[in-house]
Formats: sequence, structure tokens, C-alpha cells
Amino acid sequence: MAGALIHIENLVKKFGPFTALNGVSLDVYPGEVHALLGDNGAGKSTLIKTLSGVHQPTSGQIYVEGKPVHFRSPRDASAAGIGTVYQDLALNQLMSVTRNFFMGREMTTGPRPFGVMQMREMDRIAHDEMVKIGIDISDVSQAVGTMSGGQRQTLAIARAIYFGAKVLILDEPTSALGQKQQMEVLKTIKRVRARGDIAIIFITHNEIHSKLVADRFTFLSLGEVIGSGTKADLEGEDIRRLMAGGAEMADLEQELATI
Amino acid sequence: MADQSASAGRTEADRLRQGSAFMEILKRPEIGAFSGMLAIMIFLWFIAGDVVYNPLGIKNNLAIISQLGIIAIGACLLMIAGEFDLSIGSMIGFAGMSMAMMLKWGLPFGLGPATPFLAFSLTLAMTLGIGFLIGQIVVRSGLSSFIVTLAFLFALRGLTEVSFRLLNEGSTQISGLPDFKETSTVAYIFGGETFKWLFSLLYEIGWNVNRRGNQWVTGLDARVAWWMVIALLAYIALAKTQIGNWIYATGDNKEAARANGVPVRKVKISLFMFTAFTATIFAAAQVFDTNTADAAKGNLKELEAIAAAVVGGTVMTGGFGSIVGVIFGAVIFGLVQNSVFYIPWIDGSFYRVFVGTVLLIAAFANENIRKRITGGI
Ligand SMILES: Nc1ncnc2c1ncn2[C@@H]1O[C@H](COP(=O)(O)OP(=O)(O)OP(=O)(O)O)[C@@H](O)[C@H]1O
Ligand SMILES: [Mg+2]
Repeated sequence: MAGALIHIENLVKKFGPFTALNGVSLDVYPGEVHALLGDNGAGKSTLIKTLSGVHQPTSGQIYVEGKPVHFRSPRDASAAGIGTVYQDLALNQLMSVTRNFFMGREMTTGPRPFGVMQMREMDRIAHDEMVKIGIDISDVSQAVGTMSGGQRQTLAIARAIYFGAKVLILDEPTSALGQKQQMEVLKTIKRVRARGDIAIIFITHNEIHSKLVADRFTFLSLGEVIGSGTKADLEGEDIRRLMAGGAEMADLEQELATI
Repeated sequence: MADQSASAGRTEADRLRQGSAFMEILKRPEIGAFSGMLAIMIFLWFIAGDVVYNPLGIKNNLAIISQLGIIAIGACLLMIAGEFDLSIGSMIGFAGMSMAMMLKWGLPFGLGPATPFLAFSLTLAMTLGIGFLIGQIVVRSGLSSFIVTLAFLFALRGLTEVSFRLLNEGSTQISGLPDFKETSTVAYIFGGETFKWLFSLLYEIGWNVNRRGNQWVTGLDARVAWWMVIALLAYIALAKTQIGNWIYATGDNKEAARANGVPVRKVKISLFMFTAFTATIFAAAQVFDTNTADAAKGNLKELEAIAAAVVGGTVMTGGFGSIVGVIFGAVIFGLVQNSVFYIPWIDGSFYRVFVGTVLLIAAFANENIRKRITGGI
């Protein structure tokens, strides 16, 4: 755990009688992509929601840069540098790229909240920050609703980084996208990784995607970690088996054949 | 492989065609309202001619337009933030009653006679308080503002009538108040005249002259200046400032706004207070202009305000709209409302037919714009 940006120890999360997470431990390092894999309902979203302050853990402890933290709201988590890019991206479709980029954190001159927005400066920053991680939006005054899914992902990621995220949490960022746009998002992830100072937690159901960008893997099943390791530690066959919650592919094939 | 080489060297940025400046203007959401306004103006010119645009016509048109325009701006900002206020009309009645009652019978609790300033300030404090209460109920209960403000539409109107009957010797009207404009600056600011210099100038150049050769119209109603000032400030606030970004964000996707730290609740509550403010200005202009009040004042005005906002390009579901558009919307409805005076043979109720038709057309147009932006969702 030395050098870990985030260290999660024995995290338990219960929803009433239902145990969503049953003692999960995890380390996330800067400059690395950590793939979080597992079947539907394994507890991936619950884990990252706890990490980003949406849920409070029932027991267990989260450390950020070695210090124990207790997030009571998403605000606490983002103040501690945890930037979550939710599945709905928290974007407003009818508003422009720039207005979305700075939503709630507008650059203004004058007294809040009646300060005049420095639109030119904001336009420039929004444009430049998005170029840095790979897309060149020609018109930052265009409505987000007119952008492609991949571009929206990039906008949300660029925004989180610009506002100080040290850990970037991406919950199934490729799931709703076409092939080409999926690749764009993967490229974006690679570029963020190349900065070296940001840790990325990447949730996906796609084995190929995880192998393309991830340095480290954690497999969840029924709320527990059933396997973890670096890319070198794991064989391709292993990953597929673990993603399916530990079931053998051969067994599945047999089962399918009998239907 | 031919198509592959064709796409080489192209980037995403190339795909958005940059139109000419003229095309950009045509794409603006206010363009519908603007064309509608022009059409009405030209139509009235052909049908009624000069009476619409002579100095007296202009004064009368602007009196109606600005009155509607003031509350339409309140309704528009609130709609952009995703809420409705159906209590505007009743708020006008309530505020008018409150001011006139104080002016006639003195301050509450026998605190002596009320100056126009005190009558206005105390009334504004009350209406802002009611706006705050409405906002609190809406954001805390999560009930639709349609229902909450519908409740206030009934309750405030009833309260106004009851107060009148109890405190005003059983009558729901007050008339014959002293002409406070003569003695009080505050009363003059609401009920007096503005742009007198302009109309003097127009007289000098020989246009604003009546049949006897004297100056004809002396100035515009004070509310025109109120409308202009409120519109200008609202335009700057909405288009250029942080609060404007928050208003759009709140109405577009509340959860996204909240996740990014926009104080969604405060935005909504402030805007309910702002509509109450515009209703109070409406009422003050009326009371100090005519020196009368009536429990029925402001009836149906909330719907006209919403209609003007929609015709001006404000989307019913929130997140989209502009002050420039709602100015055009107010001009359209004001002119048509006045046209009964210019076209004597027309039945005045056609105004409502017109409002209904235009409203429907505008709502369709807005929905199209919204769909174009959100990609059809
Ligand atoms: N707020 C909640 N209240 C009760 N149960 C919940 C709640 N949130 C999640 N759960 C349950 O916890 C379990 C884990 O859910 P979670 O959303 O974390 O799964 P996941 O791994 O993200 O699945 P998917 O791949 O489908 O997104 C599920 O059985 C779910 O029904
Ligand atoms: Mg999930």
C-alpha cells in the first residue's frame, strides 16, 4: 500500500438486511488505471459510490494519501480530490460546452452570484483542457446535446481533472457508445494516465477494453473480491473467468448447450 | 478502401459547418417571436394605419406591453429554472389591495398614516415573504410548482377579498385615493411619466402635435421605464453572470447542477421571490397611476405572462429561453390586445383566440428547437 493514492480496507456496505459489499480491500496508485470488474450486481457501483461520498460505509475505512477520510457527501469527496464521472455524466444538454464545463464553478468578476462571467477566458480554458486529453471542439458555444457520447465523456473527464481530481472514477464510460467512440474514450483514459499524477478507476464489462488500458485488476463477485493483480499477474483466460464471477467458461458452454 | 482515404485528415471539428452571420441569426431561438412581432406590426399598419403608431398610439401600446412585459420576465426566468408560478395574478391583486388599503386607512396596528414609500415597502416585504414561502414549499416538498402555486392562486385571491371586506367597509374596491403622484416622488416613480424629454423633442420637431397645435402626448407611463430597467438587468443576469448559468443549469437537469455544486434550491426560491417582486411592481404602477384598487385586479395575468414567455421561446420543461425573446412575446400580445381599439369592428374576444393559437404554434416551435439541440430526446 505504500504510495497508494487510495487505500480501501475491509469496506462493508449493507442496505438493510442486504450486504452489497462484504469486506472489500483495494489500492489505487497514481499514474495507473485500475479496472474494477465483475458481474451485474457484484457491487462495483456501490463501491465507487461509497468512495465518492454518495453512500456511507457500514464499516471499514477509506484512506486518501494515507490519511483516513469520512465523506458525508459527494462534495466532501470531490474536495478531497475524488472526481467521479457518473454514468449520466452530470451534464446539461441544452447548455453550451463552456457553461457545462464551469457549471457551479464559474469564473467571474464582481460579487457572487451576480459576478459577470469571463466568457472568453472560460471558452479558452474549456477548449484547451479538452484538447489536452484528445478532442478539439471547434465551437465551445455549441450545446452539449449536439455532441457525441464520446465527446461528452471527454468533457466530463476534462472538467473533473481541471477542478483538481487526483482520482478519476469512470463508471462504465464505454457502455453506451459505438465502437469508434469507445476507442476515443480509451485513448482519453490513456492520455490521462500518461500525466502520471492521476489514478483512474475504470469500471467496465468489456474484457478487451480492460486489457487495453488497465495496469491493475480487481474482480468483484457478490460483494467480495475474488481476485486481483497487475496485468502481468493475470492470464487472459483468468480475466474472463473472474469477470463472470468465477464460473468456468467450459461449464457455461455446457449449460448453454443443454438449453 | 476508397472511402478511407476520403476521411483521412478530417477531424471532428470539421464536421460542424460554420454558417454565415445571417444564418447564425436565423438559428437564434428568438427568431420566431421576432418574425411574429414584425408580422403583427405590419398587419396593424395595413388594417388600422397611423392610429397605432402616432404618439398616443405608442403611449397606449407601450402601457399595455410594459405591464405584461414586467411579469413575463419574472415568469420567464422561473420557467427557465424549471418551475411555474400561477400565483402572479393573485399576487398582483393582493399587492394592490395592500398598498391601497394602507394609503386609505393608514398603517396596520394603528401606526399612523402611510406614505407611498411605506405602503410600497411593507407590501413588497409581504409579497417577497410569500414568494419565499412558495419557494420553500416547492423545494422542500418536491411537489410540482403547478399545484403549489395553484393553491396560492386561490388562497391569495380569497385572502385579498376577505381583507377588503373586513377592513374596507365591506367593499372590494378602493377608488378616489388622493393623487399621490403630485406630492410623492415614490408615487411618481411608479405612477407618473417618463421619457418626457423625448416627447418634448418630438413636439419640437413637429410630430407630437395635437389638432390645436399644442404638444399632444407628454410622456410614457412610468412602468415602461420599469420594464426596460428590469429587462436590461434580467438580460445581463441571465446571459452574462454566474446566477444566469445557475438558472439554466437548474432548469435543464437539476441533479447534474446539484452534483456540480449549483445551489439549486436557493436559485428556485430566489426566482419565486422575483416573480412576486415583478407582480408587486405591476400592482404599484397600477395603484399609483389610477389611484384605485380592486380585489379582482391581475386576474388571469399569470397565464398571459406564461404565454408571453412561451411565445418568446422559453421551453416549458426548463433550461432554455431568453429575455430578448420574452420582450418580443410581450410586444406581440400587448399589440394584439390593443388592436380592438384600432379595429372597432373586431370582437375583443378574438384576442383570446389569437393568444391560444399563437401559444400552440410557439410551443410546437420551441419543442422543435429543444429536440434539435438534444438530438431528439
Ligand atoms: N440503494 C440501494 N439499496 C438497496 N440495494 C442496493 C442499493 N444499491 C445497490 N443495491 C444492491 O446492491 C447490489 C450491488 O449493486 P451495484 O449497483 O453495486 O452492482 P454493479 O456491480 O454496479 O452492477 P452493474 O454491473 O449491473 O452496474 C445489487 O444487488 C443491488 O440491487
Ligand atoms: Mg453499476
